[in-house]
Amino acid sequence: MSDELYDKLQSMIGQVTGPYPANDEVNAPMIRHWCEAMQDGNPLYTDEEYAKNSKYGGIIAPPQMVQAYTVPCLWPADEDKVLNTLEILTELMDGSGFPYVVATTTSHEYFTPMLPGDKLSYTLEFASASPLKKTGLGQGYFLTVLYTYKNQNDEVVCKQPFTIFKFKLN
Amino acid sequence: MEYTSIKWGAVNEGDALPEKSREITRTTVVSTAIATRDFQDVHHDHEAAKKSGTKDIFLNILTTGGLIGKYLTDWSGPEGELKKVDIKLAMPCYPGDTLVGTGSVMKKYEENGQHLVEIGYQMATASGGPHAMGTAILALPE
Repeated sequence: MSDELYDKLQSMIGQVTGPYPANDEVNAPMIRHWCEAMQDGNPLYTDEEYAKNSKYGGIIAPPQMVQAYTVPCLWPADEDKVLNTLEILTELMDGSGFPYVVATTTSHEYFTPMLPGDKLSYTLEFASASPLKKTGLGQGYFLTVLYTYKNQNDEVVCKQPFTIFKFKLN
Repeated sequence: MEYTSIKWGAVNEGDALPEKSREITRTTVVSTAIATRDFQDVHHDHEAAKKSGTKDIFLNILTTGGLIGKYLTDWSGPEGELKKVDIKLAMPCYPGDTLVGTGSVMKKYEENGQHLVEIGYQMATASGGPHAMGTAILALPE
Protein backbone atom coordinates (compact mmCIF):
# COMPACT_ATOMS: atom_id res chain seq x y z
CA MET A 1 0.00 0.00 0.00
CA SER A 2 1.41 3.40 -0.85
CA ASP A 3 1.71 5.87 1.98
CA GLU A 4 1.71 9.45 0.74
CA LEU A 5 2.56 10.89 4.13
CA TYR A 6 5.59 8.60 4.46
CA ASP A 7 6.73 9.55 0.95
CA LYS A 8 6.30 13.22 1.83
CA LEU A 9 8.37 12.73 5.01
CA GLN A 10 11.10 10.92 3.05
CA SER A 11 11.26 13.81 0.59
CA MET A 12 11.85 16.24 3.48
CA ILE A 13 14.78 14.38 5.05
CA GLY A 14 17.93 16.49 5.15
CA GLN A 15 16.07 19.80 5.55
CA VAL A 16 17.95 22.06 7.96
CA THR A 17 16.84 25.21 9.76
CA GLY A 18 19.02 27.62 11.69
CA PRO A 19 21.60 28.40 12.87
CA TYR A 20 19.92 29.75 16.00
CA PRO A 21 22.21 31.71 18.32
CA ALA A 22 22.09 31.16 22.08
CA ASN A 23 20.49 33.88 24.18
CA ASP A 24 23.39 33.96 26.63
CA GLU A 25 27.08 33.20 26.46
CA VAL A 26 28.17 30.21 28.52
CA ASN A 27 28.53 31.75 31.96
CA ALA A 28 29.35 30.86 35.55
CA PRO A 29 26.03 31.93 37.16
CA MET A 30 23.96 29.71 34.86
CA ILE A 31 26.38 26.84 35.50
CA ARG A 32 26.00 27.36 39.25
CA HIS A 33 22.19 27.48 38.98
CA TRP A 34 22.22 24.23 37.01
CA CYS A 35 24.50 22.51 39.54
CA GLU A 36 22.42 23.81 42.46
CA ALA A 37 19.22 22.35 41.01
CA MET A 38 20.85 19.06 39.94
CA GLN A 39 22.90 18.86 43.15
CA ASP A 40 25.95 18.21 40.97
CA GLY A 41 29.17 18.86 42.88
CA ASN A 42 31.61 18.07 40.06
CA PRO A 43 34.47 20.50 40.84
CA LEU A 44 35.08 21.13 37.13
CA TYR A 45 31.76 22.99 37.18
CA THR A 46 31.78 24.39 40.69
CA ASP A 47 35.29 24.77 42.13
CA GLU A 48 37.35 27.48 40.40
CA GLU A 49 40.49 26.51 42.33
CA TYR A 50 40.29 22.88 41.22
CA ALA A 51 39.27 23.73 37.66
CA LYS A 52 42.13 26.23 37.26
CA ASN A 53 44.60 23.37 37.62
CA SER A 54 42.67 21.03 35.29
CA LYS A 55 43.42 20.70 31.60
CA TYR A 56 40.65 23.22 30.88
CA GLY A 57 42.31 26.01 32.89
CA GLY A 58 39.01 27.03 34.51
CA ILE A 59 35.46 25.90 35.11
CA ILE A 60 33.51 24.34 32.26
CA ALA A 61 29.77 23.93 31.82
CA PRO A 62 28.26 20.48 32.41
CA PRO A 63 28.14 19.06 28.86
CA GLN A 64 24.48 18.06 29.28
CA MET A 65 23.73 21.77 29.73
CA VAL A 66 24.25 22.61 26.05
CA GLN A 67 20.54 22.80 25.23
CA ALA A 68 19.77 25.08 28.19
CA TYR A 69 21.65 27.93 26.49
CA THR A 70 19.60 27.67 23.35
CA VAL A 71 16.02 27.26 24.63
CA PRO A 72 13.87 29.97 23.03
CA CYS A 73 13.08 33.01 25.20
CA LEU A 74 9.76 33.38 27.01
CA TRP A 75 9.89 37.07 26.21
CA PRO A 76 10.08 39.05 24.00
CA ALA A 77 8.27 37.17 21.26
CA ASP A 78 10.20 36.75 18.03
CA GLU A 79 8.06 38.71 15.58
CA ASP A 80 9.91 37.43 12.51
CA LYS A 81 9.87 33.83 13.63
CA VAL A 82 10.03 31.22 10.89
CA LEU A 83 9.07 27.64 11.74
CA ASN A 84 12.01 25.38 12.63
CA THR A 85 12.38 21.81 11.41
CA LEU A 86 10.57 20.33 14.39
CA GLU A 87 7.70 22.83 14.11
CA ILE A 88 7.38 22.21 10.36
CA LEU A 89 7.10 18.47 11.06
CA THR A 90 4.64 19.04 13.89
CA GLU A 91 2.44 21.18 11.67
CA LEU A 92 2.50 18.59 8.88
CA MET A 93 1.69 15.71 11.26
CA ASP A 94 -1.04 17.62 13.11
CA GLY A 95 -2.62 18.46 9.75
CA SER A 96 -2.40 14.84 8.64
CA GLY A 97 -4.33 13.47 11.62
CA PHE A 98 -1.45 12.55 13.94
CA PRO A 99 -1.87 15.15 16.71
CA TYR A 100 -0.30 13.37 19.71
CA VAL A 101 3.37 13.38 20.54
CA VAL A 102 5.71 11.61 22.91
CA ALA A 103 9.51 11.89 23.09
CA THR A 104 11.09 8.43 22.90
CA THR A 105 14.88 8.67 22.70
CA THR A 106 17.59 11.28 22.74
CA SER A 107 21.36 11.15 22.73
CA HIS A 108 24.21 13.54 23.32
CA GLU A 109 27.61 13.09 21.77
CA TYR A 110 30.18 15.58 23.04
CA PHE A 111 33.15 16.91 21.08
CA THR A 112 34.36 20.23 22.53
CA PRO A 113 33.91 21.47 26.11
CA MET A 114 31.92 24.65 26.84
CA LEU A 115 33.83 27.40 28.62
CA PRO A 116 32.46 30.65 30.04
CA GLY A 117 32.39 33.21 27.25
CA ASP A 118 31.58 30.70 24.53
CA LYS A 119 28.81 31.74 22.16
CA LEU A 120 26.80 28.73 21.03
CA SER A 121 24.42 28.25 18.15
CA TYR A 122 22.63 25.24 16.74
CA THR A 123 21.06 23.93 13.58
CA LEU A 124 18.15 21.52 13.42
CA GLU A 125 18.07 18.88 10.68
CA PHE A 126 15.35 16.39 9.82
CA ALA A 127 17.32 13.12 10.03
CA SER A 128 14.91 10.22 9.56
CA ALA A 129 11.32 8.97 9.59
CA SER A 130 10.00 5.47 10.20
CA PRO A 131 7.19 3.87 8.21
CA LEU A 132 3.77 3.87 9.91
CA LYS A 133 4.07 1.90 13.17
CA LYS A 134 1.48 0.58 15.56
CA THR A 135 2.37 0.77 19.25
CA GLY A 136 0.60 0.56 22.59
CA LEU A 137 -0.04 4.30 22.45
CA GLY A 138 -1.45 4.43 18.95
CA GLN A 139 -0.26 4.42 15.37
CA GLY A 140 2.12 6.92 13.89
CA TYR A 141 5.63 7.71 12.81
CA PHE A 142 8.94 7.91 14.66
CA LEU A 143 10.62 11.13 13.54
CA THR A 144 14.24 11.97 14.34
CA VAL A 145 15.73 15.43 14.22
CA LEU A 146 19.41 16.21 14.75
CA TYR A 147 20.55 19.20 16.79
CA THR A 148 24.14 20.21 16.01
CA TYR A 149 25.58 22.70 18.49
CA LYS A 150 28.68 24.72 17.61
CA ASN A 151 30.72 27.38 19.38
CA GLN A 152 31.99 30.73 18.04
CA ASN A 153 35.02 28.98 16.49
CA ASP A 154 32.75 26.75 14.41
CA GLU A 155 33.78 23.73 16.51
CA VAL A 156 31.08 21.14 17.07
CA VAL A 157 30.22 21.05 20.77
CA CYS A 158 27.51 18.41 20.71
CA LYS A 159 25.36 16.38 18.33
CA GLN A 160 21.96 15.45 19.64
CA PRO A 161 19.55 13.21 17.75
CA PHE A 162 16.05 13.49 19.25
CA THR A 163 13.24 11.11 18.33
CA ILE A 164 9.53 11.69 18.81
CA PHE A 165 6.55 9.48 18.06
CA LYS A 166 3.77 11.49 16.36
CA PHE A 167 0.61 9.42 16.56
CA LYS A 168 -3.15 9.08 16.61
CA LEU A 169 -5.01 6.94 19.08
CA ASN A 170 -5.89 3.38 18.01
CA MET B 1 39.22 19.95 48.84
CA GLU B 2 40.57 16.67 47.46
CA TYR B 3 38.79 14.90 44.63
CA THR B 4 39.59 11.45 43.37
CA SER B 5 38.86 9.90 39.99
CA ILE B 6 38.58 6.28 38.97
CA LYS B 7 41.44 5.03 36.82
CA TRP B 8 40.65 3.08 33.67
CA GLY B 9 43.15 0.41 34.69
CA ALA B 10 41.22 -0.25 37.90
CA VAL B 11 37.86 -0.80 36.16
CA ASN B 12 36.66 -4.22 35.03
CA GLU B 13 33.82 -5.19 32.72
CA GLY B 14 30.92 -6.26 34.91
CA ASP B 15 31.73 -3.83 37.72
CA ALA B 16 28.59 -2.35 39.26
CA LEU B 17 28.23 1.38 39.79
CA PRO B 18 26.93 2.30 43.25
CA GLU B 19 23.16 2.69 43.57
CA LYS B 20 22.16 6.32 44.21
CA SER B 21 18.75 7.67 45.17
CA ARG B 22 17.30 11.13 44.79
CA GLU B 23 13.95 12.18 46.19
CA ILE B 24 12.09 14.19 43.57
CA THR B 25 10.01 16.90 45.21
CA ARG B 26 7.81 19.54 43.64
CA THR B 27 10.70 21.94 44.29
CA THR B 28 13.07 19.61 42.41
CA VAL B 29 10.81 19.54 39.36
CA VAL B 30 10.34 23.31 39.31
CA SER B 31 13.90 24.33 40.21
CA THR B 32 15.43 22.03 37.60
CA ALA B 33 12.93 23.17 34.95
CA ILE B 34 13.97 26.77 35.59
CA ALA B 35 17.71 26.01 35.81
CA THR B 36 17.42 24.29 32.43
CA ARG B 37 15.34 27.23 31.10
CA ASP B 38 12.41 25.00 30.23
CA PHE B 39 9.23 26.97 30.89
CA GLN B 40 6.76 24.50 29.39
CA ASP B 41 3.76 24.59 31.70
CA VAL B 42 3.71 20.82 32.36
CA HIS B 43 6.91 21.23 34.38
CA HIS B 44 5.58 23.82 36.84
CA ASP B 45 1.78 24.17 36.55
CA HIS B 46 -0.20 21.35 38.13
CA GLU B 47 -3.51 22.29 36.47
CA ALA B 48 -1.94 22.56 33.03
CA ALA B 49 -0.19 19.21 33.51
CA LYS B 50 -3.51 17.55 34.45
CA LYS B 51 -5.18 19.05 31.41
CA SER B 52 -2.43 17.61 29.22
CA GLY B 53 -3.29 14.14 30.49
CA THR B 54 -0.63 13.49 33.14
CA LYS B 55 -1.39 13.16 36.85
CA ASP B 56 0.97 15.91 37.93
CA ILE B 57 3.89 18.08 36.83
CA PHE B 58 6.88 15.99 35.82
CA LEU B 59 10.65 16.25 35.31
CA ASN B 60 11.74 17.70 31.97
CA ILE B 61 14.08 15.83 29.64
CA LEU B 62 17.03 18.17 30.16
CA THR B 63 16.91 17.39 33.86
CA THR B 64 16.77 13.67 33.21
CA GLY B 65 19.94 14.15 31.16
CA GLY B 66 21.52 16.30 33.85
CA LEU B 67 20.83 13.76 36.58
CA ILE B 68 22.23 10.93 34.43
CA GLY B 69 25.38 12.99 33.81
CA LYS B 70 25.69 13.65 37.53
CA TYR B 71 25.21 9.97 38.33
CA LEU B 72 28.00 9.00 35.91
CA THR B 73 30.57 11.64 36.89
CA ASP B 74 29.82 11.19 40.60
CA TRP B 75 31.03 7.62 40.00
CA SER B 76 34.00 8.42 37.76
CA GLY B 77 35.19 11.53 39.56
CA PRO B 78 35.97 14.82 37.80
CA GLU B 79 38.62 13.38 35.47
CA GLY B 80 36.01 11.13 33.88
CA GLU B 81 34.77 12.76 30.68
CA LEU B 82 31.33 12.19 29.26
CA LYS B 83 31.68 11.35 25.58
CA LYS B 84 28.23 10.09 24.66
CA VAL B 85 24.99 9.48 26.52
CA ASP B 86 22.04 7.64 24.92
CA ILE B 87 18.73 8.04 26.69
CA LYS B 88 15.61 5.95 26.18
CA LEU B 89 12.74 7.74 27.86
CA ALA B 90 10.20 5.61 29.71
CA MET B 91 7.81 6.58 32.55
CA PRO B 92 7.51 10.24 33.61
CA CYS B 93 8.98 11.15 37.01
CA TYR B 94 6.55 12.97 39.32
CA PRO B 95 6.91 14.82 42.64
CA GLY B 96 6.99 12.21 45.39
CA ASP B 97 8.94 9.70 43.28
CA THR B 98 12.39 8.59 44.30
CA LEU B 99 14.76 8.20 41.37
CA VAL B 100 17.17 5.32 41.81
CA GLY B 101 20.24 5.21 39.59
CA THR B 102 22.01 1.92 38.90
CA GLY B 103 24.57 0.90 36.33
CA SER B 104 27.40 -1.39 35.35
CA VAL B 105 30.48 -1.41 33.16
CA MET B 106 29.55 -3.21 29.95
CA LYS B 107 32.72 -2.68 27.95
CA LYS B 108 36.23 -1.42 28.48
CA TYR B 109 38.27 -0.46 25.41
CA GLU B 110 40.79 1.91 23.85
CA GLU B 111 40.09 4.06 20.82
CA ASN B 112 42.10 6.92 19.28
CA GLY B 113 44.38 6.97 22.31
CA GLN B 114 41.46 7.31 24.72
CA HIS B 115 40.69 4.92 27.55
CA LEU B 116 36.96 4.34 27.38
CA VAL B 117 34.24 2.52 29.26
CA GLU B 118 30.69 1.89 28.16
CA ILE B 119 28.21 2.01 31.01
CA GLY B 120 24.71 0.56 30.94
CA TYR B 121 22.58 2.59 33.32
CA GLN B 122 19.00 2.90 34.48
CA MET B 123 17.12 5.58 36.39
CA ALA B 124 14.05 3.97 37.93
CA THR B 125 11.28 5.48 40.00
CA ALA B 126 10.61 3.56 43.17
CA SER B 127 6.86 3.63 42.35
CA GLY B 128 6.55 3.51 38.58
CA GLY B 129 9.30 1.43 37.00
CA PRO B 130 11.94 2.74 34.63
CA HIS B 131 12.15 6.48 34.00
CA ALA B 132 15.14 6.44 31.65
CA MET B 133 17.80 3.97 30.61
CA GLY B 134 20.55 3.58 28.11
CA THR B 135 24.27 3.47 27.59
CA ALA B 136 26.96 6.05 28.11
CA ILE B 137 30.61 6.29 27.08
CA LEU B 138 33.16 7.92 29.36
CA ALA B 139 36.88 8.50 28.90
CA LEU B 140 38.82 7.79 32.10
CA PRO B 141 42.37 8.64 33.11
CA GLU B 142 44.64 5.67 32.40
